[in-house]
Amino acid sequence: MHVEQKVNKAKKAEKKQRRCLAIIKADCNVAPSDAPTLNLAILNVGLSNGLTEEALLTSAAATGGQVSQVLMLPSKSYCFISCATLTDAQRVFEGMHNVATIGQLGAVAYLSYVLQLPREIEENGWQKPLPNGLLLLCNFITEAEEALLLQAIAIDDAGAACTEDTLKHRHVKHFGYEFLYGSNNVDAAQPLEQPIPAACDFLWQRLDSTKISGTFLPDQLTVNEYEPGQGIPPHVDTHSAFVDPILSLSLQADVVMDFRRGIELVHVLLPRRSLLIMSGESRYDWTHGIKPKHIDVLPTPAGSLTTQARNKRTSLTFRRLRRGACDCQYPMLCDTRQTTTPHAVTDKLATHASHLEQQNVHEVYDKIADHFSDTRHTPWPQVAEFLHSFEAYSVLLDVGCGNGKYLGCNPQLLSIGCDRSQGLLGVSNGRGQSVFRCDCLQLPVRSASIDGCISIAVIHHLASSDRRLAALLEMARVLRPGGRGLVYVWAKDQRKNDKKSSYLRQNKAVNKQHTTEQAQRQKLAQQLENMEMDQQQQLQMQVPLPVHTNRTEFQQQDVYVPWKTKDKQRTTFLRYYHVFEEQELERLVSQVEGVVLRRSYYDQGNHCVIFEKSSN
Amino acid sequence: MKLSTYNFLTSMAIKGVKVGYPLKLTISKKDVVESEFNPVFIERLLPKLDWSAVYGAAQVAELAEDIPATQPENISDDEQLLQRLHHLLFEIDVLEGQMECPETGRIFPITDGIPNMLLNEDEV
Repeated sequence: MHVEQKVNKAKKAEKKQRRCLAIIKADCNVAPSDAPTLNLAILNVGLSNGLTEEALLTSAAATGGQVSQVLMLPSKSYCFISCATLTDAQRVFEGMHNVATIGQLGAVAYLSYVLQLPREIEENGWQKPLPNGLLLLCNFITEAEEALLLQAIAIDDAGAACTEDTLKHRHVKHFGYEFLYGSNNVDAAQPLEQPIPAACDFLWQRLDSTKISGTFLPDQLTVNEYEPGQGIPPHVDTHSAFVDPILSLSLQADVVMDFRRGIELVHVLLPRRSLLIMSGESRYDWTHGIKPKHIDVLPTPAGSLTTQARNKRTSLTFRRLRRGACDCQYPMLCDTRQTTTPHAVTDKLATHASHLEQQNVHEVYDKIADHFSDTRHTPWPQVAEFLHSFEAYSVLLDVGCGNGKYLGCNPQLLSIGCDRSQGLLGVSNGRGQSVFRCDCLQLPVRSASIDGCISIAVIHHLASSDRRLAALLEMARVLRPGGRGLVYVWAKDQRKNDKKSSYLRQNKAVNKQHTTEQAQRQKLAQQLENMEMDQQQQLQMQVPLPVHTNRTEFQQQDVYVPWKTKDKQRTTFLRYYHVFEEQELERLVSQVEGVVLRRSYYDQGNHCVIFEKSSN
Repeated sequence: MKLSTYNFLTSMAIKGVKVGYPLKLTISKKDVVESEFNPVFIERLLPKLDWSAVYGAAQVAELAEDIPATQPENISDDEQLLQRLHHLLFEIDVLEGQMECPETGRIFPITDGIPNMLLNEDEV
């Protein structure tokens, strides 16, 4: 490299470094230091532009300097490390500054000594007590026993259920019963040919003799083989599938497991040949998972952190089938508790229906009208197809027209829209569409005057079955004989033939197996706890319903669905929804006299019906 | 609100109201927005409209001379009338005004071009 180019490169780095330092000063009030310190800011590269902790640690290790702590900040293009000694810090600085191309597309890292690390450090998951009910028994088995167990599970795969193909991230084998990853459950009626190998029996005798837990005889074993770099997203073992406790034996290598509940995070080092017992709170109320990494960060006896490369690890998870509903005290992640709407709630909904719709539907749509409208522009193809199935000059009424995206869809129709939300009506009226304000339970429209009626994603906002039926009766009333109606409602089941709806597909974190729906549910619960008091109180006064976690499967039919505004406040509004079971909409239509169900179908997470008013 | 929309509106949802049609229209502010005239559209649409409300609207919109009180037969031959109907039904935009239930006198205001037909719970 020519001298001139070198000077240019150094100048560019300096300029870039200054800019980055200004950012971290503004973001987290961290000031640079001219003299070497133990803390280094890694600038220009971070989680937001593809830097992994692992890439950072590998690069730092190559300098010969030992890193004792890493601080990766979510969605930032910088991060921080600490070293135990100044010599280590200097080695890392000199070896990496303006040299290490560890960011996306080879972005180069600029380093700077800083006086301190930012205050908002994610809590250190190492200085925490273990979750209640979690027990780790180190050296539970000997190396000889470990070898015997590995031999026992390495039987011919024909006997055990192998699901290597379906799980991208690890090799899995089941004994006793197959764990079905689609439903996260087992089929108790379908035991496998191969029970838990008898070679495991000594474990229960040993466990008995520790007097730690009562006699426990598992009937299901899942073997996970993790290569370095593989992990398992945070999850809770399905409550209704297995009883308490759950045992996990670590073979061949150590690994760090993360336990989470809301924002609480506890790292647990699972040493080779240790037995982990998850019971009570730790089994039911915390998720556990293993980050997919090649290198673990571990605490040193001195209290700082260090790194350790992973090796191939095999874990044996022993569980006992529950065969029935879960009766735990931890409702947050309990599938039994979450999937049933008690009768008392349905009754309460019916009693408070109009008030609930006012507060958790109408007022919300008025407040979010503009932002909501911005997200609704493309007509759904099958709705457009329905609108084009009418002969020219027909009269169309869109009940709950929102921003009016369907009113101009077929310009050969006389299209009229109505909605409850003044805010949304303002949007459609501003686009020159003909709209009026009303409730879908009382359409102010002449009977038998309309050729086609659509109601897209509307009646799932009505809080009782009677009201949902009443809305259909109104549509039937205004249709002229031979006129047709199309109704879309949100489906509780967001999968068809094991294919996720686009609503679920947009959950990128879950789909990339970075996390699980359970972990997202915990996070949301935490956010809701932090919600402003007045909104909290309003909820208490209203019907207490579960709050749905967006882009996850519905747990219940009657839920609040959060809408987060895009403005600075990021206010969360809760919309009431009744999501429909399969055939529920068809049953409702069958109660409407004088109409015939013409077609029913499932379209991207919605149940849909087309009905026709009889001609006599 | 276009006067074609007005033709479909009723107050029949009010408790005790039998017909609730046509609503008594008052216009305090209107706009005229030109749109493309399609004689076939008007002709085919007419059977779906109530002529008495078409004529009523014409009176309120001060276009009564243009529209006969009873619907003439063979209207398809009368291009001029179709043109006038087009103007009445699709080009006049009521911005401010009200509609009144003929039986109860309940007022439905029209604000910024949007009629508010919402009823209180105790009215239905």
